[in-house]
Amino acid sequence: MNITVAKRDGSVEPYDGYKIARAIETASTGLDDQVTRAAQLQSELEITLFDGISTEQLDEAVIQVALQNVKEDPAYDTVAARLLLKTMYKRVLGGCERADDLLPLHRSRFPTFIRRAVADEMLDVRLSTDFDLDRLAAALEPARDDLLRYIGLVTMRNRYMVSGPDGDQREVPQFFWMRTAMGLALNERDATSSAIAFYEKMSRLEYLAAGSTLVNAGTAYSQLSNCFVMEMDDDIEHIAKSVRDVMWLTKGTGGIGLSVTKLRAESSPIRSNNTTSTGPIPFMHTIDSTLRAVSRGGKKFGALCFYMENWHLDFPQFLDLRQNSGDPYRRTRTANTAVWISDEFMRRVAEDDDWYLFDPLETSDLTELYGADFSRRYAEYVALAEAGELRAFRKVKAREQFKTILICLQTTSHPWLTWKDTVNNRALNNNTGTIHLSNLCTEICLPQDRDNIAVCNLASVNLARHLVEPARGERPGRERPADKIATGIDWGRLRESVRLAVRQLDNLVDITISSVPESERSNDLNRAVGLGVMGFTEVVERLGWSYESEQAHSLVDELMEFISWHAIDASADLARERGAYPNFDGSRWSAGLVPIDTLDIAEEQRGIPVTVPRTVRLDWDALRAKVRGGIRNATLMAIAPTASIGLIAGTTPGLDPQFSQIFSRTTSSGKFLEVNRNLVADLKSRGLWTAVREDLLRVQGDLLRLPSVPDEVKSVYKTSFQLSPYAFVEVAARAQKWVDQAISRNMYLETRDVDDMVDIYSTAWSKGVKTTYYLHMKPRHTAEQSTVRVNKAAVPTDDDAERVRASSAMATVSSGTTGEHVSAVGRRGFGFAQLPAGVQGADIACPVDPQERFECDSCQ
Amino acid sequence: MTQTILGTGIQEGLLLKPVRYPWAYELYNQAVANTWFPHEVQLGEDLADFKKMSDEERHALTFLMSYFNPNELLVNKALAFGVYPYVGAAEAHLYLAKQMWEEANHVMAFEYVLETFPIDRRQAYEAHVNVPSMVAKEKFEVHYIRRMTEQTLDIGTTEGKRDFVRNLVAYNIVLEGIWFYSGFMVALSFRQRNLLRNFASLVDWVVRDESLHLKFGINLILTVLDENPDLRTEEFAAEIKQMIVDGVTMEEQYNRDLLPRGVLGMNADYINQYVRYLADRRLEELGFAPHYNVTNPAKWMATANDTLQLVNFFESTNTSYEVDARAR
Repeated sequence: MNITVAKRDGSVEPYDGYKIARAIETASTGLDDQVTRAAQLQSELEITLFDGISTEQLDEAVIQVALQNVKEDPAYDTVAARLLLKTMYKRVLGGCERADDLLPLHRSRFPTFIRRAVADEMLDVRLSTDFDLDRLAAALEPARDDLLRYIGLVTMRNRYMVSGPDGDQREVPQFFWMRTAMGLALNERDATSSAIAFYEKMSRLEYLAAGSTLVNAGTAYSQLSNCFVMEMDDDIEHIAKSVRDVMWLTKGTGGIGLSVTKLRAESSPIRSNNTTSTGPIPFMHTIDSTLRAVSRGGKKFGALCFYMENWHLDFPQFLDLRQNSGDPYRRTRTANTAVWISDEFMRRVAEDDDWYLFDPLETSDLTELYGADFSRRYAEYVALAEAGELRAFRKVKAREQFKTILICLQTTSHPWLTWKDTVNNRALNNNTGTIHLSNLCTEICLPQDRDNIAVCNLASVNLARHLVEPARGERPGRERPADKIATGIDWGRLRESVRLAVRQLDNLVDITISSVPESERSNDLNRAVGLGVMGFTEVVERLGWSYESEQAHSLVDELMEFISWHAIDASADLARERGAYPNFDGSRWSAGLVPIDTLDIAEEQRGIPVTVPRTVRLDWDALRAKVRGGIRNATLMAIAPTASIGLIAGTTPGLDPQFSQIFSRTTSSGKFLEVNRNLVADLKSRGLWTAVREDLLRVQGDLLRLPSVPDEVKSVYKTSFQLSPYAFVEVAARAQKWVDQAISRNMYLETRDVDDMVDIYSTAWSKGVKTTYYLHMKPRHTAEQSTVRVNKAAVPTDDDAERVRASSAMATVSSGTTGEHVSAVGRRGFGFAQLPAGVQGADIACPVDPQERFECDSCQ
Repeated sequence: MTQTILGTGIQEGLLLKPVRYPWAYELYNQAVANTWFPHEVQLGEDLADFKKMSDEERHALTFLMSYFNPNELLVNKALAFGVYPYVGAAEAHLYLAKQMWEEANHVMAFEYVLETFPIDRRQAYEAHVNVPSMVAKEKFEVHYIRRMTEQTLDIGTTEGKRDFVRNLVAYNIVLEGIWFYSGFMVALSFRQRNLLRNFASLVDWVVRDESLHLKFGINLILTVLDENPDLRTEEFAAEIKQMIVDGVTMEEQYNRDLLPRGVLGMNADYINQYVRYLADRRLEELGFAPHYNVTNPAKWMATANDTLQLVNFFESTNTSYEVDARAR
């Protein structure tokens, strides 16, 4: 190929295809077909090149061609990740030609990196004074970079790594893990040893700190907390203060939950100037704009969720906030919405009763009440309303409002459904007031008030890194690839991870700083943390189970019981070492209660059974006695969505299923293809992968539509839209037994029947699920596919079954020559015409795939 | 005439039920569910990317907008003057009405792009009359629309029906199905390099709409051919195929002006191989054998377009939603 490449120093050199092929080969070390891969990528690269391309563009172009082959083999993702790593090494460590150079370069450059970044005022000065940098450097293990996938690496680089004043890259992955670990060990007596312990866990991806912590730990601006929960009071001074607080918290990268239930309704009187209120909606729009204004260079805007109870007179307008049409001043395009639902409402839905909406100006005590007390007071207001003693109210059918909520959820993915009474009745931190809302991601259950903006600090254990894998030669009878089989959970390692994560989170509480005094105060008094999990679906897959199976459901029950037990025990130990949290006295913890005990309270208050099995496996009595003597943290557990850190961990997020077996992820770093590696390994070991991969893309990852795949594989690898929605409910309900806060339960639905949705969400409530989160609806129509053959003529919009039959018939006949395909689906239109064949000639580009090139006459 | 999809009687087709062409009715309902508005994405967030891009990349984007903007309206003229008046089925009218709104919505989306990015708007607006490769494409389209309007056309005659199909092939297969699609590929390529994400969300929506436009157009052509055996001649088939091949030749010249040198990930030859790949697909959809027999060079379109997408909704706009839900 005869073109030139412009080097960074301005000089020009001829393009060297051999050098490129060598670089790709090196990046393919340890993968199958190393040499063929390199040749293929080289030829795919060369058709995109142009004269005068820069070396940087060339590096990026090679990565792009590796990535576009991930749909054929996830090994190309490894190639792309290694190529990207190489450019990072080049920039940060100053070149690294041989793999053997990597370790000494890391170790020699690390202390300099820390000192220089401290000198530039990017990192906390204590990072250079309080640690033995040489010992830390000696602990670095660059071989762990190979655990990272491409999307994880890009996310890490774009979102979390520290860069210099000119945007120059300063960190490689192992520097990043160590800097984070150091930032969370600052208060430890032996800070160096603690940092190494945290580093060991995080760099092996066994648990990860949450986003804000990864961004800011160890930096000069240590805002490490993740979630903030606040409420707007019904006076203009506090509304203005809330706007100010949202700005500050957004600047510090925290996600915010904000309740607006207390604001008086539209047309409600304002005494001070003898006029009427505009209600909460316009103020919500103001906050929404604020989120865009404070947005980190226009790239990462603020994130907030508004909460409202569904008895508020303006609740119908609240439902419209996310509609894509209508008055833009009455919409919130950026902020999310959630509804805070009482047991009283759910009962009225079940009994097809009326539901009353009130102006909080007249019913101001309702926001402070929950459970049976709420129901009692609500009934009194209903009586007042019917007696004509309230200025304003509305009466609707409860069932009608519930359906309206669900229709709105189906079309706009909002509002998320959260249940206030389950949250409050099950709270162990119930001594500091009512919980008025959850947070941005619906996993936090903390009381707040005018003087306290509740704060939570998160980390997540990667369950997929706590599997027991059989030793070589000890492969079970099932035909599964050795590196993907697991025989069980490594409980010992899990125990160690949980306990260390709790310590790391507790450190965070002391180290973090906040720009809002009310949140600083709440953090100090409650020391609330939330340890969650990710990788549950991957674990289930690697054990060879289905997400819908009882095995999976009792596994999540068992796992969460274990994690919860050790988290609570570790916190009780910390209380002995460091003291109980200041608000401990009077809490249900201090009465010797643990999460499972609150199920009965919730049930009693509801007057209807909470239908979740009460199985208990561990010795909770011992723990009950221990927590009575003190616990370090007001809360311990919360299962966050892990949408971003899950990418770094390279596993399925939270308790979520595989979205599809092949799908794309859209993040702030771009759009990435994801193929389920466990499935590919499984199909490869059965010799099926190359035969089905194109069909898998055609059916958008829906394995069930491929006849050649055996049923036992299909049952393990269902997509999120095929799984029964009741499986999501069941998994959450089992986990929720043990989680003292809540779970970001993403939901996925294919059905658009609102009555089905009523059943699903009612079941979630009756099983004691505290909150649900985003609802993903399966699109009925997607754009025409580009890289796989589709035939519109043969496909009316609803005839998917026919399309699959046609396409899979084709897949077994041929490797896809076009003529056969068309005859397979039948030919209308101009098929009758006997026209001369196409112009086969010199101007026809040859295929890029080496296999196809081999069969191409003009290439040979 | 009432038995076929073609017809001109104003008072015919005033009742939707019974639906005679269920595919058209289904497409209408899906199109309604797909309703979106340009302001749902925040294009301003792409400004920083636009500044980062190379001159040739900015030229390519401007060139695409210069072409798309007037041509969405040209499609509307083809529909208004050349399709709507000659179709009798009410369900097809419903769909066409929605499609025309969509074309208008696309224009507003591209105007939003032109007004947000620091593009020389006058130059962009004038390009379709100044740049010879764009002029050629426009002339090709106008030629077929003119035949539907300025000359007397009798849809009851074979020649009238031929003109109907010619116009349909020109705007639907060539312009929407090949020319637009080649532009979409280029437009989406920026996102693969993490540039112009919000712009790409607009393009996602436009592609979702255009996929339905194509489904409708292809089904309409096939239905007309099924119902009118007089159109099924070798000669007419050869003429239609030649239109598509000519369309490819024009597009190849246009793409050389779009990318005189190349940008990261592609050059004009690369796009043109994609154009030929698309043309083969369209030929097959009309029942022809493929003409070019080339592979798709843009394998990354699997990521950009072919899969269900899981959006991190804190970081990007979810473009997969559908509206128009109701309780039973």
